[in-house]
Amino acid sequence: MKRKLNWIGAILAMMLLLAACSSNNGTNEAASPAGNGSNDSGEAEAPYELTVAYFTFGSVPQDQKLIEEELSKITKEKINATVKLLPISLSAWQNQVNLMLTSNEKLDLMVLMGSTYANQVAKGQLIALDELLAQSGTGILAALGPDYANATKINGQAYGVPTIRDLATSYGYLIRQDLVDKHALDLSQVKTLNDLEPILQTIKDNEPNMIPFVNGTGASPLTYYSTRDSLGDDMGVLLDNGQDLKVVNWFETEEYAAQLKQMRKWYQAGYISKDAVTVKESTSDILKGGKGAGNLATLKPGFDTQETRLTGKAITSVELLPSVAKTSTVTNIMWGIAKNSKNPEKAMQFLNLMYTDKDVVNLFDWGIEGKHYVKVSENIIDYPQGVDAASVGYSGMGWLFGNQFLSYIFKGDDENLWEKMKEFNNSAIKSKALGFTFDSTPVKTEFAAVSNVLTQYRIALECGALDPDKMLPEFIAKLKDAGIDKIIAEKQKQLDAWAAANGQ
Amino acid sequence: MAHESKWVTWISHSVLMGFSIACIIPFILLIVSSISSESSIIQNGYSFFPQQFSLKAYEYLWAHWSELGRAYGITVFVTVFGTAASLAMTSMLAYPMSRSDIPLKSFWAFLVFFTLLFNGGLVPTYLIYTQVFEIKNTIWALIVPGLLMNGFNVLLVRTFFMTSVPPALIEAAQIDGAGEIKAFYKIVLPLSAPIMATIGLFEAILYWNDWFNGMTYVTDPKLFSIQNILNRIISDIQFLSNNSSLASTAGGAMAELPSTSVRMAIAVIGVLPILIAYPFFQKHFIKGITIGAVK
Repeated sequence: MKRKLNWIGAILAMMLLLAACSSNNGTNEAASPAGNGSNDSGEAEAPYELTVAYFTFGSVPQDQKLIEEELSKITKEKINATVKLLPISLSAWQNQVNLMLTSNEKLDLMVLMGSTYANQVAKGQLIALDELLAQSGTGILAALGPDYANATKINGQAYGVPTIRDLATSYGYLIRQDLVDKHALDLSQVKTLNDLEPILQTIKDNEPNMIPFVNGTGASPLTYYSTRDSLGDDMGVLLDNGQDLKVVNWFETEEYAAQLKQMRKWYQAGYISKDAVTVKESTSDILKGGKGAGNLATLKPGFDTQETRLTGKAITSVELLPSVAKTSTVTNIMWGIAKNSKNPEKAMQFLNLMYTDKDVVNLFDWGIEGKHYVKVSENIIDYPQGVDAASVGYSGMGWLFGNQFLSYIFKGDDENLWEKMKEFNNSAIKSKALGFTFDSTPVKTEFAAVSNVLTQYRIALECGALDPDKMLPEFIAKLKDAGIDKIIAEKQKQLDAWAAANGQ
Repeated sequence: MAHESKWVTWISHSVLMGFSIACIIPFILLIVSSISSESSIIQNGYSFFPQQFSLKAYEYLWAHWSELGRAYGITVFVTVFGTAASLAMTSMLAYPMSRSDIPLKSFWAFLVFFTLLFNGGLVPTYLIYTQVFEIKNTIWALIVPGLLMNGFNVLLVRTFFMTSVPPALIEAAQIDGAGEIKAFYKIVLPLSAPIMATIGLFEAILYWNDWFNGMTYVTDPKLFSIQNILNRIISDIQFLSNNSSLASTAGGAMAELPSTSVRMAIAVIGVLPILIAYPFFQKHFIKGITIGAVK
């Protein structure tokens, strides 16, 4: 009996210990919401702290905190708010943002990606922006222009604002300049995919160790060549860059069959690498390593300089298809306000600054003047003395932070880059479905099944590794078995409803 | 008989050698690619002999040591502290459970066993840890969730205590005047070195290799562990290459991610300490797992 009492005593002691631990945590918890509470309780002099989440690649810049402080100085003065930056690694992004949204953590502004946008709206994780935009986001609307501002609407309400960058895309072939010079290739004659053949042949003949027509990992050469509006996922597309609102099965079209035939021919001729299907490097790594000559890519003004920097080899490109704006090119990067936000009004005011205030944009994009960059002239900047791309304490991503057209131009880039980009965006062919976002929830099962079939066949077919005469019919049959027709029907239904609502 | 057993020895040894070689080869490839030049990897793929010897990758690591060294420190601290805490808690829970005179014995066993089969899932777990315990972006986030206690280990240790520590010994200690705690530290623990080494190694490897907690609960780069950084780099690259529409806009971002040989070099420095630690545990390891595994 006595022994039993001892045991119970021991257990009680342990419980006490545990209770002590948890009560300690309890006070922590109680303290922090109180702290927040006093922040946003509306006192005129207490600035609201905006949490701004966005994704980064690789490591977080070492001077991140300085940028945050400088930004807060500006915002405190202009909109009585401070900024807390929350960079999240792209790989962890989906997971962490989802957890933050479900657990109602503090989060105001966040980057939205086209691939999950419709889903986030459907889950109610974002605040509808129309009213806020009209009140305090007029600068954003003016900078975007109505076509692009409306491209994000779902059920008549915008939940996101696209960043201002290359909002359209054109497709073309890029190639190493030294090869063009060495073999006297005439790129001016290249207008279509077919015209590339003699060029690829010349490289094949003269550069035996080089792949003339490169593709990167997870993609086929044709991934960056499109005359259609994929409506986000290629399961049911609009032909002719979406000039006609009839959803068709892209893989059944003659155009697709013809493209596959051509790739097959090129594969057999050795223009496409024999292990194209399983390649593990990116196109720019392959070019950088001297193993490839060129590849199809999505072009934009300033593209050649960007690729040159990336591959370390002078790059030139030739446009094969004119620039097009589709929902996917506009909505792939947007900013939205999370439903967690305690003060959407302030969040919108800050967003407005990101589209109108040159100081804010350049802080985000380039850092602090004198420390991370120096001005060469009014709009051109360079690294300060003794600093280079590897040692600079901060570098942001211009296409991510609001209005890139307000950003300084880095030395070596085209001085008129932003004018050209504006022109590029404005002159782009606009898909009639620009603004339509497909919600795949009603056909979830089919969507997953079709995705699997696509992974199984598509890249192998488009690299030419499979014979299209035999495998294309099999591919199409499998797609039909997986229910692609049901997806197309659903898409057409949603598109018609969208078109009716938008008066198309 | 002797003849036959010689053959058996030969065959079993060559099979096991084959296995060991299959395990070692990837490591050799890893180390060789970390000292090959980037362009030779892209040109010719991976190979067992460096075609172009280059220490560029390690120079890169050295240049980024402020970030990587810190991550290394975090990993070492979390591993050492986590393993010690885990061993202490596991053995102190397992010991009473191993005694036949504890009340509600099967109830405690059931509680532990239950966690082997069921858990709350990611979102509820996240909610509890971030909102009740507030461990987001603290060092505890790398130590507590998922790793600190493991029902399987508790049962393993309990079985070891039950089978290898005779109750008579504990009774003798008590007759000599030792209390429960003294008996535990002076008698039971020293007799259990094999199982402690085994569990310790399990836990140390788990802590050393863990990136999931870092990815879920940590956004502050100051708290990134070395595996977390490596995992981030690799999944960023995968993500970019699988999202063509984003990659075309974000093309430049790709350039900021470390090259193949650098990734290999990070993996090398990430795996080395574990490789070095293994032989020291080997002796206890085999005994601990064979005795404890009989549940």
